[in-house]
Formats: sequence, C-alpha cells, structure tokens
Amino acid sequence: MTETTGGAPAIELRGLSKSFGPTIALDHVDLVVQPGVVFGFLGRNGAGKTTALRILAGLARPTAGTAQVLGHDVTRASEAVRQRIGFLPDVPGFYPWMTARESLEFAGRLFGLDSATVRTRADALLEMAGLASATARVGGFSRGMTQRLGLAQALINGPSLLMLDEPTSALDPIGRREVLEMVASLRGRTTVFFSSHILADVERVCDAVAILERGRVVASAGIAELTSRATAKQLVVELESDADAAEVARALAGRAWLKTIDTRERSLHMTVSDLETAQREIPSAIAATGAALRRFEIDEASLEDVFVELVDGGR
Amino acid sequence: MTGFAPFLRKELTEIRRTWRLWVIPGMLLFLGVSSPIIAAITPALVKSVTAAQRGVVVQLPPPTALDAFGQFIKNLDQFILIAIIIAGAGVISGERSSGTATLVLTKPLSRGAFVVAKLLSQFLLLVAATALGTAACVGVTSVIFTGVTIAPVMTTVALWLLYASLLVVVMTLFSAAFRSRGAAAGAGLGFYLFALLLSNWGPAARYSFAGLVPAMRDALMGHALSLGWPLASAIAAIVLGTAGAVWVFDRQEL
Repeated sequence: MTETTGGAPAIELRGLSKSFGPTIALDHVDLVVQPGVVFGFLGRNGAGKTTALRILAGLARPTAGTAQVLGHDVTRASEAVRQRIGFLPDVPGFYPWMTARESLEFAGRLFGLDSATVRTRADALLEMAGLASATARVGGFSRGMTQRLGLAQALINGPSLLMLDEPTSALDPIGRREVLEMVASLRGRTTVFFSSHILADVERVCDAVAILERGRVVASAGIAELTSRATAKQLVVELESDADAAEVARALAGRAWLKTIDTRERSLHMTVSDLETAQREIPSAIAATGAALRRFEIDEASLEDVFVELVDGGR
Repeated sequence: MTGFAPFLRKELTEIRRTWRLWVIPGMLLFLGVSSPIIAAITPALVKSVTAAQRGVVVQLPPPTALDAFGQFIKNLDQFILIAIIIAGAGVISGERSSGTATLVLTKPLSRGAFVVAKLLSQFLLLVAATALGTAACVGVTSVIFTGVTIAPVMTTVALWLLYASLLVVVMTLFSAAFRSRGAAAGAGLGFYLFALLLSNWGPAARYSFAGLVPAMRDALMGHALSLGWPLASAIAAIVLGTAGAVWVFDRQEL
C-alpha cells in the first residue's frame, strides 16, 4: 500500500456545499485530512456525512466549493482519483451470482491489475477478511460477511485513501469488532476516512475526527486534543454531606463561568466556561458556606461528551 | 472507455450464469420450433373448431413454408420485443438500485464504458439467440414443408434484428434516465406502441425507422424493398440513442 500524496493532503474540502432543492446537505464545509491517519467523520444521521463521501468518491457533484483528493479535484480528475482510492458504501452492493473471490478478482481487473497480482491480492484480502474458505455465492452472505468483503474489495488496489461510509452501523457486536480490527490494522499503511455516528467505534480506531452537524464542520482535531478541550470544562466537587452540596450549589448559582450544575447527593457535577476562575472561586465559596471539601476533580471527558456538547449545545 | 473489457466480460459471464441466458434465447428457440408446427396444424385446428358449428364453413389453403416463417416473424414482433422491453428496463436502473453501480463506478470504470458494455452484451445475446431461433425455425420448417427458400426469411430476420437492436438501445436509455424499473418499462411500452402506430402512417414508414415493420412483411413476401431511409434512420437512432444513454447516465448522481 502507498501513502504518496505528493505533499498534498489526502482530503481537502474548501467551502464545499451541496443542496438538494431547498435542502442544504453540506454548507460551506472546510476540512483537511492529512495523509496516513485514521480519520473519523462524525455526525448524526442526516448530518451530511454520506453526501460528502459521495462527492469525494465522484458519485455526486458539489453545488459550490471544491473537493480535492490526493491533490486532484474530484470533479475534474475523477478517474485519476478513482484509481487511487478505495470506497466502501454504507450498504455495499455485490453481484449475488459471484463468489467472494470472483468479486475481488473482478474489482482488481477494473483497476487494470494483471492476473498474477489480482490472484495474490485476492488471496491475502480473503484471508484478512476471514473469507478464505467461503465458496458460497455472495447473495447468500450475512451482513457481516458482506461488509468484510466490502472492505476487502476497497483494498484490492492498495489505495492511498480508503473511504468507509458507516462501515459498522448495521453490524452485530462481533461483526463490528471484526471490521474495526480490520480498519485498525491499516493504521500507518494508508489514510482511512471513516464516517460514523457510533462514537465508541471512532474513539477506538481513529487518530483525528471532524464533527459534522447540519452540513457544517463544528470541530476538527485530533481525538486527544478534542477531548482535552472538553476535559477542562468538566468538574466534580464532593462535599461531606448532602446539605453542604445543596448550600454550595446555591452559593455558586448565577456565577458567570458556571454553565451547568447538577447535584447528586453530596457531589456537584459542573460544566464551566472558565476553568481557572472556577478553580479559584469554588474553594472560596465552599469555605464561605462552612462546608467541608472532600474531593475536587477535573473530570475526564469522552468523545461522546464533546460530541453532545458541540451537537446538542448548538440546538 | 476505461474498464470496458473487464466489465464486458462480467456482463457476458452474468448472462451465462443467471436467468438472462434462458429468457430471450429460450423464447426464441421455443418460437423457432413451435411456429412451423403451429402453421402446419392451423388448418386442421380451424376445421375442428368450425365443424361443431352448423352452417359455418371455413376453408383455408394448405399451409406453406411461407406461413411458417410468417408465424415466426409475427411472434418475434410481439413476444420477443415485449421481452426485450421488460428485461431491458432494469439493465441500468437495476444496478443502481442494488448498489452494484456504486461499487463499480467508484473504480476506474467510466460511465461510458459501463453503458456501452451493457449494450454490446445485449446485442451479442440478441444476435446469438436470434440465430439459434431462426436456425430452429428453418430446420423444423424444412422437415415439415417443401419448397423452403431461406433468403427472404434471412432478410426479414436481419431487418427485425435491427429493429430489436434499436429497442435495446431505447430501453438502455430509459433505464439510465429513470430510477425505477417500472417507469422505464412503461416508457418502453409507450415507445413500442408509438413506433407501431408510426409504421402504419405512410410518410413515417417511408422516412423513419418505423418503416422497418412494413419492410419485414415485404421482405418475407419477396417484394421489392426501398430501405434507404428506414435503414439509415434506424442506424442513426441506434448511434444517437447510445450517445444519449451515455450522456444521461454520465450526468446522474448515484
């Protein structure tokens, strides 16, 4: 597999917009995906993820803006792009009369690969997908087998960029794990652009993410950076008694930096906009009420917390 | 036309390994065998039906090889053209709705190659099936009847093949244009009926592909043919229809 992009980003979207009549699916999306990463493209159902992927794969045209893949404009050099990408749609459609091997060999021939290369790659990919012993026709495959075959066919050309549209959304836990393990095994060998609304999957395999909401990118960063941004805003304060907690909550109410406060028995769970001020004022408020502090903790946030904050917070 | 050869190979393998091998070739073979037999027994059938009705006397001349070929061509015109419409309606829309078009067209297969490979495979199937059916018809006719002359039926079948090829192109265009197989089939039936009406209108029959329909009758009867305009317009329609199907499909989002 190759990672060569000639110095260009694997994906670069600038002001990308797509409308279907009055419905705006993508609204001036700007996004850069660097080569070699496993990149998660997060968003709720209907956020515009599939539309963006369809444009990147040359299946749809943007209404405005540009989409570049591996340094090529997808609308002008779609064949050059297709030669170097692998694409797995959310529901891969195979010819039901072919076997898994025939499907891979057919895909390889469409890339102009010679027979020996096609055979060698098909062997390796069938092994990787756990389908080496599958001799039945694809029409009789389970959803999990079809999805794993979908991933295998997307890799037949050794793509520089692999684009996966919701590869795990309809799978059972075992099928999901198998597909995620396949994706994780590609790290460092190719760029993976992976759309999903399943946050746990993205958190498990991706290095960086972009969050798409109502056709707009509301955040784009490495997972560690994104969660650290939110980590600074989550606080847990534990006091000696329930009464102390209630009194301190009253004392803190209305402070400018306090976004939310949730009293759970003797604990206060807070979201704050200014961590430094909160760290200064909370202990003094506790002291002023005469309450006794038991624990003061900056809480670990998950990708889910960030996602909910960005997506739900904007509603 | 990137990816044309492997996609054409896929199409031909698909014909060999699915229902497509049996429908049109099977129908043509059946009609090739049954048409001479039906022509041979028709007088006896009519006689037995009218014998039960008092006062009704129907006298038919003895059947000939020409009746057998006429029956075959009439059946081609009705059953096979309808089968082409039904089978052709899903040729592109079926790939689109099943998701297979998405998978192959995100590889270096151009949309032009996709459409042209579909057309070529259908032409090859049609030519092979027509040759098989015609050979069966000529063979059975030669066994049942005397005085068989092959040239008129060959000319007639060649004209029918051109007309059927035009219908294949039109169905591919409709299948590219409409997302639904039903809509494509409906449009195809509309085209078939419209062309049939045109063939009965003198000026259209003289100057358009619709003239192939009366030309088939004339060819079978051994009459002189004036095929310039019908042939030229049919070939032009096939070329334009192919270009149109590629153009329409190329502009579609999948």
